[in-house]
Amino acid sequence: MQLFVEQLINGWALGSLYALFGIGFGLVFSTLGILNAAHGAYASWAAIVGYYVFQWYGVPFPVAVLCGVFGGGILAILVDQIGFQPLRSRRMGMLGALITSIGFWIILDSLAGSATGHQSLAFPASSYPNAMVQIGPLRVPQMQIIIILSLIICTIAIHLLIQRARIGAAMRAVGWNDVAAAISGVNSRVIILLTAFMAGATSGLAGVLGGIATSNVSYTLGEGLMLKGFAAVVVGGFNDVRGTAVAGIMLGIIEVFVAQYISTAFRDGVTYTLLLAFLIIRPRGLFGSANFSRA
Amino acid sequence: MEALFDFWAAYGSTVTFAMANAFFALSTYAVLSTGVLSFTTVTFAAIGGFLAAQMVGQFGLHVYLAFLIAGIGGGLGAAVVASLFLRLESHWMALASLALVLITRVTALNTPGLTGGVNGLVVPVTISQFELFVLLTVTTLVFYRLHNSWYGLASRAVREDAAVASTMGISPYRIQFTAFLISGAVGGLGGAALAFTLQFISPDTYFIGIAFTMIASTVLGGSFHWFGPIVGALIFTALPAAMQAVVPAVEDVAKGVVLILIMVFLPRGLIDPRAIGLRRAAKRRRDIEHEAEKTHA
Repeated sequence: MQLFVEQLINGWALGSLYALFGIGFGLVFSTLGILNAAHGAYASWAAIVGYYVFQWYGVPFPVAVLCGVFGGGILAILVDQIGFQPLRSRRMGMLGALITSIGFWIILDSLAGSATGHQSLAFPASSYPNAMVQIGPLRVPQMQIIIILSLIICTIAIHLLIQRARIGAAMRAVGWNDVAAAISGVNSRVIILLTAFMAGATSGLAGVLGGIATSNVSYTLGEGLMLKGFAAVVVGGFNDVRGTAVAGIMLGIIEVFVAQYISTAFRDGVTYTLLLAFLIIRPRGLFGSANFSRA
Repeated sequence: MEALFDFWAAYGSTVTFAMANAFFALSTYAVLSTGVLSFTTVTFAAIGGFLAAQMVGQFGLHVYLAFLIAGIGGGLGAAVVASLFLRLESHWMALASLALVLITRVTALNTPGLTGGVNGLVVPVTISQFELFVLLTVTTLVFYRLHNSWYGLASRAVREDAAVASTMGISPYRIQFTAFLISGAVGGLGGAALAFTLQFISPDTYFIGIAFTMIASTVLGGSFHWFGPIVGALIFTALPAAMQAVVPAVEDVAKGVVLILIMVFLPRGLIDPRAIGLRRAAKRRRDIEHEAEKTHA
């Protein structure tokens, strides 16, 4: 029983990382209409920034995380303005942005490889809270609690921002139809920049926390998050952050349980089969709205 | 002459890979030219590749027969995929096809009896560059004929506006289904071509790498004409080799930069029939204005 609960928490923490990453990926897809292949690189780079800020300046843990998050956001804005903005004015749709994002993916991964010296770096144990927390009979690593709480806070905050705040309404309007949004007085340029930053920052947070928790700071970090985060977005319905959060946690728990109780060989198979099943049976995802369409 | 031989020794394999990639690019183009963005070519290539490798390795069939079976296998796979996927909206379709690529690899990893699993398969035979060239030429001829047929016209109509096409008596579903069948057959051929070229295939051979290579090739070369994907595949395959010769230190970075630059400055690709048409029209307009001015004067 204790093993079961411990694995449940393990899965929940792992899934929270997928979900955090997925929220960023989904924001870009639903608001900007871009299938961004470079998104995984934001997470890798956020982790790298966090790592080097700590190594060079010895800053405390929260500052290192914040720097990484900020780095992810800035990187997302740069990629958007260099790679996607020129295509927007030409109405190239999803295809052009997909190709430039592949270009950025190649560049950023290659640079990340150089930055980490083509190996996997690990945050030193002194740089983050690595004690165990005693909850009844369970011992839970502090990092897992931080990850789980981060997802809950981010999901609530971003959900409220998108659904309640004026700026969120503007984001939804741009996602639905940017020309109509511009006619009704939305400054779509600002919204695009803001969305890109938020997406990069959220995925960056997943990158930094994941890099610390799995002791892996390299370009493979982003790739792993990308594949599973993508699954979380699709299963959850990409125009609702709550769906992504729930689906991400679910996928994490399923993954850990399949590995624990069935076989590690089927771990990815179950995730992706679930993904395909959702796409075919319920393409709008767990929470997605039915009338999604984009010309 | 000596220099030419050296050049061929160094870059001959690049040309072979470019031809294999051209199949994938054409397969992507087949569906893209009816307005469907799909990565499923990777799945069809995996079907074709493993099928061909097994046919030759296990049953000792001739290479040509293996190609035929690979094409048919890819086509059958495409029929299944199309009947499931064509109900989805375009964005979902792109996501679903990407998911299928991920699933393909996991499936290939977990069916070692068919695919060799993690260890992969050694393909005992190879094909000559000339045979591959002939096969690509024949495939290209088919695309050329299709482009100028009723089907080609209908597919362009469906791509531009499916609703308008259906009011003119074209069924978008049937056109896109046919496109998937063509994509599957060509993808299967490409998978077999890659298997016979590499002579070793594993689940990782048919994965995201191919997906992005082929889509980049197609869009780079131009997705509005059958010649585009071939040019794109050639450039995209030669690019890493060229970059290695020019800037070996930052080879990958340079490749990415070139990709972005082409996309930003030539978003419709290198081969763009519309740009050629527009240029002609502009010239004609200028000529007419010129004439008019002359008569006024």
